[in-house]
Amino acid sequence: MRSRTVSQPAMSFEYIMWMFTRISGLALLFLGFIGLVMALIMNARNLLDMPTLTRWTFFPNPNHVVNSNIPDVSQGWANAYWQIMEMVIALFGISHGFNGLRVVIEDFIGNTFWQPMIRGVIFLMWLFFIIIAFYVILAS
Amino acid sequence: MKVTVKILRYNPEKDKRPRYRTYHVEAEPTDRVLDVLEKIKGYQDGSLSFRRSCAHGICGSCAMRINGMNRLACKTLIKDLHSDKIVIEPLLGLPLMKDLIVDMKPFFEHYQSVKPYLINDEPPPLTERLQSPEERERFDDTTKCILCAACTTSCPSFWSNGQYVGPAAIVNAHRFIFDSRDRGAAERLRILSDQFGVYRCHTIFNCTLACPRDIQITKAIGEVKRAIATGSLD
Ligand code: FES
Repeated sequence: MRSRTVSQPAMSFEYIMWMFTRISGLALLFLGFIGLVMALIMNARNLLDMPTLTRWTFFPNPNHVVNSNIPDVSQGWANAYWQIMEMVIALFGISHGFNGLRVVIEDFIGNTFWQPMIRGVIFLMWLFFIIIAFYVILAS
Repeated sequence: MKVTVKILRYNPEKDKRPRYRTYHVEAEPTDRVLDVLEKIKGYQDGSLSFRRSCAHGICGSCAMRINGMNRLACKTLIKDLHSDKIVIEPLLGLPLMKDLIVDMKPFFEHYQSVKPYLINDEPPPLTERLQSPEERERFDDTTKCILCAACTTSCPSFWSNGQYVGPAAIVNAHRFIFDSRDRGAAERLRILSDQFGVYRCHTIFNCTLACPRDIQITKAIGEVKRAIATGSLD
């Protein structure tokens, strides 16, 4: 059987967001995995309890570990590397979630005159949460 | 055996909203639900309306909700319902016209929107457009569709928004997109990648469950999504 190909359609907004949902979902798992492995390398088994470790895995913010047995969080637990990690996680997570909300709402409202307005509201909410998250990350 | 049949009745000239009517019918376990409906219409209540034609599961006229599932009345045996109580309702998501009859117009408009016919402007060869058995096999599953609308009207995405083309239209697009003789794949993929194309499918699998022809519908939709993403029609 000869293999058949087709020229791909121009990327539609729906297609891009569909791809983004898959990629960001996988990326979040991967980033969480890195956070977990790095914490264990930094002796999390003796320093953190399970809930703290879970919080750190999905959002490696020093605020999450200050009350645990770590003598000094500035030793490996709080630095620019983790800040970048957190920002990437926040960006992927918040975008993934708000896009999901958009998809659910548009499943119902479809292409009506409400659609641009609702997209606008969701975009503003997305922006608001990104700003808050980045503020928290950079201030901690 | 005696079966109790509850049917959602609606006469647009008299009723404000649909109402259930109950009938008691003598039936064999090997009778089909369609036989029971014929018995009611013939002997108890001639005003009962429903669509049927072939009575052999091939014309796709008699799809309805039987005990909550979309099925063909002519293909469903009483004994397979495992109950002597049968509830029969019209399909969901399409405008109700009368009793068990729904307006299929939106359904066929979606079907037409994906160009469900061979597109090939190349000059035809002297004999026929040849195809290997493997190439034919590639889209065999989706050729089985009888357009009964059981899948589309079982889809929550379609219920919530009738603008979605629905699984049946995608199945019929798949049938031509993956046909080696066809040249219209790019155009169909463009149509299906828009807001009401394949991305309104959230892999709920109701369609696959409802299909009386056992077509792997969700898989076919997945293959169309993959073709859009990769450009490969293998
Ligand atoms: S009557 Fe033709 S499919 Fe049931």
